[in-house]
Amino acid sequence: MSQGVVMEEDRQEVTAELGAPDAQRYLDNWRRAEADFENYKKRIELERAETARFASTTLILNILPVLDDLDRAFKSIPEKLAHLTWADGIRLIHRKLQATLEAQGVTEIKALGETFDPSIHEAVGQTAGEEGKVIEEAQKGYRLHGRVIRPAFVIVGNGERPERNETESATDSHDSGG
Amino acid sequence: MARAVGIDLGTTFSLIATMQGGDPVIIPTSEGERLLPSVVAVSKTGERLVGWLAKRQAVTNPENTIFSIKRLMGRKFKDPSVQFDMKKVPYKITEAPNGDCKVVMGGKEYSPPEISAMILQKLKTDAEAYLGEKVTDAVITVPAYFNDSQRQATKDAGAIAGLNVIRIINEPTASSLAYGLDKKKEAIVAVYDLGGGTFDVSVLEMGEGTFQVKSTSGDTHLGGDDFDQRILDWLCDEFKKQAGIDLRQDKMALQRVRDAAEKAKRELSTMQQTEISLPYITADASGPKHMNIVLNRSKMEQLVMELVDRSIGPCRQALQDAGLTPAQINEVLLVGGQTRTPLVQTKVTEFFGQEPKKTVNPDEAVALGAAIQGGVLKGEVREVLLLDVTPLTLGIETLGGVATPLIPRNTTIPTSKSQVFSTAADSQPSVEVHVIQGERPMAGDNKTLGRFILDGILPAPRGMPQIEVAFDIDANGILSVSAKDKGTGREQKITITASSGLSKEEVEKMTRDAEAHAADDTRKKEEIEARNTADNLVYQAEKVMREHGDKVPADLKQQIEGKIAAVRSALQGQDAAYIRRTVQELTETMQKIGASVYQQQPGAPPPGGQAPPGAEGPGPGKGKPDEGTVEGEFREV
Repeated sequence: MSQGVVMEEDRQEVTAELGAPDAQRYLDNWRRAEADFENYKKRIELERAETARFASTTLILNILPVLDDLDRAFKSIPEKLAHLTWADGIRLIHRKLQATLEAQGVTEIKALGETFDPSIHEAVGQTAGEEGKVIEEAQKGYRLHGRVIRPAFVIVGNGERPERNETESATDSHDSGG
Repeated sequence: MARAVGIDLGTTFSLIATMQGGDPVIIPTSEGERLLPSVVAVSKTGERLVGWLAKRQAVTNPENTIFSIKRLMGRKFKDPSVQFDMKKVPYKITEAPNGDCKVVMGGKEYSPPEISAMILQKLKTDAEAYLGEKVTDAVITVPAYFNDSQRQATKDAGAIAGLNVIRIINEPTASSLAYGLDKKKEAIVAVYDLGGGTFDVSVLEMGEGTFQVKSTSGDTHLGGDDFDQRILDWLCDEFKKQAGIDLRQDKMALQRVRDAAEKAKRELSTMQQTEISLPYITADASGPKHMNIVLNRSKMEQLVMELVDRSIGPCRQALQDAGLTPAQINEVLLVGGQTRTPLVQTKVTEFFGQEPKKTVNPDEAVALGAAIQGGVLKGEVREVLLLDVTPLTLGIETLGGVATPLIPRNTTIPTSKSQVFSTAADSQPSVEVHVIQGERPMAGDNKTLGRFILDGILPAPRGMPQIEVAFDIDANGILSVSAKDKGTGREQKITITASSGLSKEEVEKMTRDAEAHAADDTRKKEEIEARNTADNLVYQAEKVMREHGDKVPADLKQQIEGKIAAVRSALQGQDAAYIRRTVQELTETMQKIGASVYQQQPGAPPPGGQAPPGAEGPGPGKGKPDEGTVEGEFREV
């Protein structure tokens, strides 16, 4: 361990010049700076990998509303238009947009009928239905490479039995809100 | 020694930061967000949720979701402000036996510090996961108007979360630190902090690194959320006018409009106009309805004008309490996300009669400042070596008086850099190393730091010798320059101690000069580069003719000699474009040599990319006369 011996000598020289406490402090600081730098390098490496994987997040988040709007358009398509091949064309465009996003690592979050889970769902309202279950999906949620980039906006059951009578259910939701 | 963190424990959002390599940085939460909502909840299944998760489930569980706990910190139940808030929040606030207030969550009573502790704990855990080490020491910020019991409650929250609170500091003080104001000697600072839900304005007096709060004022219920609400209301009104449907009755639609309003507000901070387009927002008997409304900046400013004006009253009050006029304020700082709105900036500028500072991210300034304070207290800021940078570029002069940089400005020192150069003429016996400092591309316009000669170079064609020039600046800014002939091992060096001799003014002047002369200098440099290329090409061409002239057909030979003469005559003049044109012509003609020489050798491989084949000098790049690598008395190899 000749290396250790040399270091020891070095330290003694330094000590003689600076006084022991100073030298010890400098050595300490130096080690800390080295360690800091090592850790910093490791973290930057990790962050760089992350950044590369998630660089498209902002762009995807800005495209998702377009997909939402297409979803809504199909939800409310009038019966007599639904069978036109022209509408099929738009459906293909819709599918293509979905496929393009999927190829980028975007996946849909399951919501309807699932147990409400705030790590992937965001509750925007409550309604009659099984307690703690997602009764309605207001807007789809998405993951990018497994990370939630937008939670699904959902309406959660409040444990009351769904009523056919509309006025009654309106009163119910009013009660739970107050 | 463990590091300290700085925490901005806010009413709506909290942040955590730490010092890294001498600079404060925000630590993201485990969800990858920089902000953590200050929300805590107990779910119906008895699970405790903090931050984003708590916020996302709030609608389903309003009575067990606690937000804005900061408003209750260290307050008595009878406090009018508590009584006011009680009417606005869906969770229950009760009175503790000692008169303090408590909140009910999941059927249990909690004191406000306990709730805050849950937020702190989440920040701490996420920070530990991110940093890979334990976090114990923390600096936590509080509003300047917090009294002793509110500060104590905040400290208690830290202790409950397992943090050693090394200091509680005022939010405006933290902001001042984030802006680096502690480095100034004395100043009066006004901090305008308009966040999501609260507005604070503080006047600080600073001297010798200490901050004293002269006055504070504000509005505990004014913030960005109010701005969003104004835009939301307007959108709903507009839509009602257009489509006759009130979206306020439709929770789902309202959620979409609310998000769009917030987005529009943010966009109008940088753009003059934005389009709020929400297809299929609702439907009636006649079919689906779309919202498509254009909002421009001036309309938005009308909508929020009253809110911005409301913030000016407290500013006036704070100045009056401090006994100051706007003119006596040296610095105005903008903090809080809502200060990104241009109208806010305009009004603040108007009131204080000066441009406010806004260079630090307004959402993060407080947490960053707390981290700096933590670093100072842990001795980290003071003890970490202060690393200097070279204020100006250092380099050497090369052929034609061009300044070739070796160490660019703003490089952190100590550092070293070496580069290999060569000779500019055949059998050149020595090279002169002229060390210069400055940003101008021509050596003569920069400052000379020193010069020396390396001699004893053995006779060789130009471009052959390899001279390694090394620059080394030590931690004290002392520059040594050495030049070594790699062939003979001969070395010369010079140490320049005066490299730091430039005053700050000189450095600034030199930097300014460089900017002012940029266009002129570039032209000059281009001319010299064209010249160098031409000069080198003529040299190459003559060499080829000397060595292979007998194989070249007579008419081509004549052509080439004519072109060489043309380049030479162009070199007499100053016209860089003309020089480049003659160079181009000569290069093209030269390439015919290769074709004709190889045609004379049947069976030889067809001409590859190595044209002109006659130039088989050893130096890389030597065969490509148009490459522009010739730099000098020296030339890069």
